[in-house]
Amino acid sequence: MSENGKNKREWVKTAAIIFLSVMLVLTFFANSIMNYSLPEVATSYVQSGSITAKIRGTGTVESGDPYEVKVTESRKVSSVAVSVGQTVQKGDVLFYLEDAESEELKAAKSALEEAQKKYELAVLTAEISSSNIFSANENVSSEVYRQQITNAQAAVQRAEKAYNAAIDAVTAAEAAVVPYQQQVDQLTQKISDYRAQVSYESSQDVAARDDARIKAAEDKLNAVVSGGDAATVENARKELADAQNAKAARQTTIVNLNAAAADMELQKYSLEKDLAAAQAVVAEKKAAVETAKAEWDEKEADLNKLVGNIANVISLEQMLDTITEAQKLVDELSAKSYDATITADISGTVTQINVTAGNTTSASSPVAVLQPEGAGYTLSFSVTNEQAKRLSVGDRADLVNAWRYDDVEVTLASIKPDKNDPSQRKQLTFNVTGNVTAGQTFNISVGQKSANYDLTVPNSAIREDSNGKFILIVESKSSPLGDRYVATRVDVEVLASDDTQSAISGGLNGYEYVITTSNKPVEAGDLVRMPD
Amino acid sequence: MRKLVLKISGVVSFLFFLILLFVANNLGRMQDSQTMAERWSEKKDVAQISCFFSVNAGITEDRIIEFEHSIDSALTDASVVQESENPGARLWADAYSADGRIMLSSDRSYLEADAIGIGGDFFLFHPLKLLSGSYFSGNDLMQDYCIIDQDAAWQLFGSSNVAGMTVSIGGIPHMVIGVVERPEGRLEKAAGLDGTLVYVSYQTLKELGSCNGINHYEIVMPDPVTSFAENFIREKLGTSEKETEVLENTSRYSFLSRLKLIPAFGTRSMNGRAIIYPYWENIARGYEDILAVVTLFELLFLLYAIVLALVFFGIWWKHKGWTLKDVWLYLKDKAERLGEKLRAKRLEKKRNPDGSTGEIKRTPKKKERTKKKERAQKREEKDL
Repeated sequence: MSENGKNKREWVKTAAIIFLSVMLVLTFFANSIMNYSLPEVATSYVQSGSITAKIRGTGTVESGDPYEVKVTESRKVSSVAVSVGQTVQKGDVLFYLEDAESEELKAAKSALEEAQKKYELAVLTAEISSSNIFSANENVSSEVYRQQITNAQAAVQRAEKAYNAAIDAVTAAEAAVVPYQQQVDQLTQKISDYRAQVSYESSQDVAARDDARIKAAEDKLNAVVSGGDAATVENARKELADAQNAKAARQTTIVNLNAAAADMELQKYSLEKDLAAAQAVVAEKKAAVETAKAEWDEKEADLNKLVGNIANVISLEQMLDTITEAQKLVDELSAKSYDATITADISGTVTQINVTAGNTTSASSPVAVLQPEGAGYTLSFSVTNEQAKRLSVGDRADLVNAWRYDDVEVTLASIKPDKNDPSQRKQLTFNVTGNVTAGQTFNISVGQKSANYDLTVPNSAIREDSNGKFILIVESKSSPLGDRYVATRVDVEVLASDDTQSAISGGLNGYEYVITTSNKPVEAGDLVRMPD
Repeated sequence: MRKLVLKISGVVSFLFFLILLFVANNLGRMQDSQTMAERWSEKKDVAQISCFFSVNAGITEDRIIEFEHSIDSALTDASVVQESENPGARLWADAYSADGRIMLSSDRSYLEADAIGIGGDFFLFHPLKLLSGSYFSGNDLMQDYCIIDQDAAWQLFGSSNVAGMTVSIGGIPHMVIGVVERPEGRLEKAAGLDGTLVYVSYQTLKELGSCNGINHYEIVMPDPVTSFAENFIREKLGTSEKETEVLENTSRYSFLSRLKLIPAFGTRSMNGRAIIYPYWENIARGYEDILAVVTLFELLFLLYAIVLALVFFGIWWKHKGWTLKDVWLYLKDKAERLGEKLRAKRLEKKRNPDGSTGEIKRTPKKKERTKKKERAQKREEKDL
């Protein structure tokens, strides 16, 4: 039991000694151990300084007012007479072309042939007269044709008017015939009535009736005379006398009627003569109408014929013109086909040559670009709207690696929306003067003048969280074991930044140490270690 | 003796569980790319959401700008307003990036390297360790910056202190604004950090390098209700399930998320989408795998400790030597005594208004209880 107790005591002693020595060691090295565990920070002074926000860009120098040399046909180039950068005078040969029928010449020739065939075919057609062909060749002006058509149209109108007048005359003549006819008809009726009366009065029946009346009266008288009184005889005698008078009166009437009829016959004859005369007039007028109608038709036919002829002539003229033009083109191209060259239209410097010997020119793209004498150079590139806001036209740009170039000046000439992205970007165009040539690439920087601020820190010092931007400054606190450094948060507002520095405003005096980087994450309130 | 060993093993197992829990929680948080929400706001009311797009998703800068414009109105609808007094404070920040290759040349040499074309506040989300210089942002005035790692700096300039130097990309001069340290490690190498990596603006990569299109977008934004932010992004930016993957970084390593990883064992590695994961997502997925295993062990240790605890509890319960009724009676007795005491106090006060109190005798209960305990212990030892 006592052995056991002794052992136990030994053990406790050992433990206590070890514990105490460890504590001692830890106390001695506490500072170093703690320092080692703290994040080491790099710091910088908050100080006053200037911020210069520059916009940088790269662009290629281009001719400011380029002159493009173009050819209208595709031809093979046999040799190039100039090189880029060479100065040429107006009329100097730029390219020699190989002798060859160009595609354009072949096309022109076939167009000419086609036009000729078309003309021949048209001439052979029946509707076209030789006078047409003659007129077409004479190249009569359209004014003449218009005059001819106007005349023909006037003639047609005149004929139509005459026809209408003749029709009116016929109507009038026919109206004149009507009263004569009526009178003749009336007379004829009357005559026929009289004649009927006469034939009735002079008929056997009427004579027999009269004779029978007389006979009856005579018989009555005879009967009365022999045996009757005087009054009756008188009556009988009167009756006989009346009957005899009636017969006699009928004879007179017949004579009178015949006389009247004869008179009317005379009258009718005279009237019939007048009627015939009037009818003759009508017939005459009708004949005149026929003539007028024929005249009108003829004029219209003339007009139609004229129009047809003119159309023929014009189409022929067109064909002839086509032929002439095609011929002209063929002649022109043929002339160019042999010993042809491309010459400079202006004096200047060759800035670009787009074809080489052996290649074929194309009508659409320029074969060479000339920089006219005296015209400037430009350089352009695209920037964001935000960048463009900081620039204004007239700003001078600096060349990066300026020592490479002497007396080159670059000035901002225009700020326009970028065609590729008009809403987001702007195209900056600079004027370049001095010893430059087109095609050179320049890196330039342009921007506002630098502004001075009281508080600036390196960009790496700016931190951010949901409470906004802040910096961590190092505050020192004295402790028995030496100075302790604490990272303290200061909320700031960033006023301006450039590539390396930011200007800030916040509760700072202007001589604090600000943490830029550290080897471990640092939070506000953490103890930190400064580099030895 | 065996019982003691078992008890110790149970306690050790529970300790292991606690250690693993601690390790798992910290392992996830070690990755800066996954903890933007913590950095962005001290309050736990923001979420970091990442989207990964396939090559064919057709996500353009315009599409992202359009989306950015819709965020503020959505936040206003959810009655989230800016409370900070700092005039420059933002409610949300976002970043996007594209994957590609680029050729850099300096006066002395040239280098072709993998490149990440960045837009937005990329380096806010991915605070790489700067060796010199500073970060840049897609919102900066100029976009002709690049950040290179120390390898690239060495190859191009023969030094790592090269911030401010100029390199030429596609004939256009770019400013080296910072030099970063490339993370090294088994996972990092496998995730795509096995070679030089250069960070340039998305514009530079698109125009002067070979670019596979925007393959990643991420945002940190207020999350007033759980999954509000994630659902909002899924709805507004997700093109189709096949082309997009949306995930919430903030809760991806939570215990619950880790538990969900265990049943996905085996199927997790399958992928039917043409998505190129950026290196940080590859690393994060690697950690997910590791954490799934850790979580599994966590569970096993916890299970062992719990089972043992239950068994011992059962045994102890069986031999406890008292019943619930005893406890009830004891408590009742205590309550009555307390009542009596209070009454006596009040009475005393009435009698002696000057304040002097009468003494009340206490029964010597304590001794009894110790005796009882001793007895129960003896019984237990006998049983075992």
